[in-house]
Amino acid sequence: MSTPVVTTEHVSKWYGQVIGLNDVTVSVPPGVTGLLGPNGAGKSTFMKLITGQLRPSKGSVKVLGEPIWRNPHLFFQIGFCPEQDAFYERMTGLEWVRALVRLNGLSDKEADEAATRALTEVGLLEAAHKKIGAYSKGMRQRVKLAQALVHDPQLLILDEPLAGMDPIGRRKTIRLIRDWGRAGKSIIVSSHILHEIESMTSNILLINNGRILAEGDVHQIRDLIDEHPHTVYVRAADPHRLARQFLNDVTGDDVRSLRFEPGAVVVETGKPDVFYARLTEMAAGGEFGEIEEVTSPDDNLQAVFQYLVK
Amino acid sequence: MSPIHDQSYRHYGGGKAAPGRSWTVIAGAGIKSLIRKRAFMGLLIFAWAPFIVRAVQMYISANYPQAAILNPTAETFRQYLEQQDFFVFVITVYVGAGLIANDRRANALQIYLSKPLMRSEYIAGKLAVLFAFLIAITLVPAMLLLFLKVMFDGNFTFLKTNLFLIPAITIGALLQVTLAAFTMLALSSLSKSARYVGILYVGITFFTSAIYGVLYMITGSSRVSWISIGANVSQVVDVVFRLKPRYTTPWQVSLLVIVALVVVSISVLERRVRGVEVVT
Repeated sequence: MSTPVVTTEHVSKWYGQVIGLNDVTVSVPPGVTGLLGPNGAGKSTFMKLITGQLRPSKGSVKVLGEPIWRNPHLFFQIGFCPEQDAFYERMTGLEWVRALVRLNGLSDKEADEAATRALTEVGLLEAAHKKIGAYSKGMRQRVKLAQALVHDPQLLILDEPLAGMDPIGRRKTIRLIRDWGRAGKSIIVSSHILHEIESMTSNILLINNGRILAEGDVHQIRDLIDEHPHTVYVRAADPHRLARQFLNDVTGDDVRSLRFEPGAVVVETGKPDVFYARLTEMAAGGEFGEIEEVTSPDDNLQAVFQYLVK
Repeated sequence: MSPIHDQSYRHYGGGKAAPGRSWTVIAGAGIKSLIRKRAFMGLLIFAWAPFIVRAVQMYISANYPQAAILNPTAETFRQYLEQQDFFVFVITVYVGAGLIANDRRANALQIYLSKPLMRSEYIAGKLAVLFAFLIAITLVPAMLLLFLKVMFDGNFTFLKTNLFLIPAITIGALLQVTLAAFTMLALSSLSKSARYVGILYVGITFFTSAIYGVLYMITGSSRVSWISIGANVSQVVDVVFRLKPRYTTPWQVSLLVIVALVVVSISVLERRVRGVEVVT
């Protein structure tokens, strides 16, 4: 098994009375790993702990096999893209990236070349001489990515890199991240949107309320989620008739419980695949009235997390 | 078949410095950005005006016997450093107020601290910016005056008689600069607004002097001069120049206050210069 790029052992972080991360023990393998969790789950705290910006209240954090805290030498091999903007708006993109890479010990000329290459890499060369204050949100995200990769790090840590990007910028950035992963870089990327992470990698860490809930292949985690009761909201012309059919059907062991809401029935199923197949047949047959809307609150990541922590 | 244009990432050929020298990058960037400002350069040149006056004084006294009244003494160098107090104050506010506050406002600290840069190096770099400019208007011109005195006299008599001036100028100037730099940097780390920091520094400086002035009027004694930040520096520098201290406060107390202020400043910097805490 390959050496993990990040390992944490019983790591906790408190901010006074507030707990940011709670007894987290995890190993992040090389390659692209998605850190998935709703807002306020502890993703940024985890990111700051593994970039050595915060010291854990308890436990230990190792990055690339070495403790990260007070180990600046490791930062030669790590690139960090924070979630928040962190710019001097009056500087140009090139000036900003160049100034930061100078901290890696490059001369002015070398820093200039490295910054130009990094800006080219993220597709920002044409805007390199524009002031950052004039950049769009997507350009700002990309210039942050440029400063993270300008020193050619082995490990990239990207905190919500797609936040605020337009669809095209989002697609380009996802492609970039996948390319860097294929080129052999290890990348830890956080997001609160499942499909964003899925488009970059299948390896994910689920985090909520400061705890890692699950880790591994996104498909296995989906299977895990699918084994558990799933809530489906069905708005229909005659919800009572529909509910009777859900329960009367001899094959209806897929329905665990149901309740009514105005104009709708909410079903909890243990076999979502079977239930959705039955529902599709019923809708196609038309004998139980019009089915107007089918939604699953469980598609919302927040609901999945709430279920997993129960 | 090779691609027409390889746009993949290429490794740079530059070296990678060992940690410990990154403070020079921070200091260099800060110094360069200030030197580019014309207003600041004007201020820096203006701060050398007293040096010109003193140099002329030394030239005249060395070359015209009828101007012997202008002959410099050891106290002249003390007076020169005291004149520079005003410029130290102005440049400390101009340069120092935004040193950390601007980084905090731009959220730049979290980026800096994810580079091969320790917090102590970051602070050292910022201190170096202030030290560089403050030493350039205190220690450097004062030493240069001493050198000019020897040159204009054409002999070492004055220097031999007053050899203590070399350590006295060095210690006196460093005391001025160290206290100003540490306290200003600590204040700069407390806020995201350079303007607010500047006002706070000016306020603290004048407020402590005003309180001392009021207490002096009430008690008629200068025993409480330790309350005034400026008075403490004056008191200790007087002693360093072998002059009679101007206040009745023991100079050791004044020195203790200066040391305490520097220690408190370091403690503030240690607490404030760190990655942004995320409260979930």
